[in-house]
Amino acid sequence: MIRAELSRKIACPECDLLLDRPVVLRSQTAHCPRCGSRLFNCRHNSVERSLALALAGLILLFPANLFPILSLQILGLHQQQTIFSSAMGLYGDDLGIVALAVLLFAIVVPACKLLLLAYVSAALQFSRPWPALPLAMRYYQHLDEWAMLEVYLIAVLVAIVKLIDIATVHPGVGLYSLAGLILISTLSSTMLDRDLYWHLIDARRGEPQHV
Amino acid sequence: MYSWHDSAASQGLLSCHECQAVWPQALEHGHCPRCGAPLHLRKPHALARTWAFLLTAALLMLPANLLPIMSIAILGAGEPSTIIGGALELARHGVWGIALIILAASLLIPAGKLVGLIMLLLTVQRGWTTNLRQKMILFRIVHWVGRWSMLDIFVVGILVALVQFGNLAYVTGLSGAIAFAGVVIFTMLAANSFDTRLIWDRHLQETDIDPQH
Ligand SMILES: [Zn+2]
Repeated sequence: MIRAELSRKIACPECDLLLDRPVVLRSQTAHCPRCGSRLFNCRHNSVERSLALALAGLILLFPANLFPILSLQILGLHQQQTIFSSAMGLYGDDLGIVALAVLLFAIVVPACKLLLLAYVSAALQFSRPWPALPLAMRYYQHLDEWAMLEVYLIAVLVAIVKLIDIATVHPGVGLYSLAGLILISTLSSTMLDRDLYWHLIDARRGEPQHV
Repeated sequence: MYSWHDSAASQGLLSCHECQAVWPQALEHGHCPRCGAPLHLRKPHALARTWAFLLTAALLMLPANLLPIMSIAILGAGEPSTIIGGALELARHGVWGIALIILAASLLIPAGKLVGLIMLLLTVQRGWTTNLRQKMILFRIVHWVGRWSMLDIFVVGILVALVQFGNLAYVTGLSGAIAFAGVVIFTMLAANSFDTRLIWDRHLQETDIDPQH
């Protein structure tokens, strides 16, 4: 089969059923008729919205990481905590590997995801032939499930419940920023039309490059 | 009803695992012309890798649940507590909701993932061909739920950073946390190495050989 013919086909990523690419209206999702898995979702203005959300997320990263999430008071003594300090605390107790996991899943991976999404979206939105677009998109997809901010948020709530009997717990600016950041990142994942992105990345590469 | 011949693999085609582009199988072991990812008909060594990650996770589950993950010392008197111990402590204080969340995230989810993935592996290896759609749902749940087991690790991190009041109150992270983080990471890797298409390949090839099905 020639390439144009192949591009009209899609194979279910989970059961390998070969289909003619279904026509999907905006904000609908195509499912595999055999195994029921999601083939792709079509999103309206995906590039524009993902770019806006990624930039908003990048801005929220700063207050979420710099301001204290919780502060604790016992008999006039005071202690604060950020995401970074919760990793460093584990490092101080000789749990370096665990500290690294917290650092990666709660800070580095979420930040990288937003950066990669902003980079790819900006290149597509403004038709710039920036380097390594396919690579950036692939890394974004690989990192997806390793970002665990929402798990961290629930952990904060559990910590509050555990501490509330022995001390006074105050939520900080960091906690509200973290909640906002989670909302933005979740929205950016649902707004992302991966199929469209791959299509655009491929199409842009074929075009003559304007200088 | 679909037959084996409806699969891309039986029509000499394969799809890129990363960008879903469809290519002729002649390109296998090369790179995807669209995204540059290595092309494979099925994830390489899917069964062996899934088993390896799964067994590692299963071995780590023992120390993860038996060793204490942290010790909470209040007014000098501290005692190390395991994950289950911590959840029971919460339940004794009447905080049932949180106790259940912790038990679910740290005990039921890893154990359920282990059992679920073993069932899927056996489905492929023994050629079981029933309830395939249900098994796909099982895989999706196993895949999605895995990350939530990190909950307890994050709780320990937060408490260690927050409760540092010398003799008054002091929380220390302990080595059980290493084993527990290991369980979470290895079960996630196991789910990622598994290839659900293998379930369908086997089923469809067998129903084709035996048309009475
Ligand atoms: Zn590809």
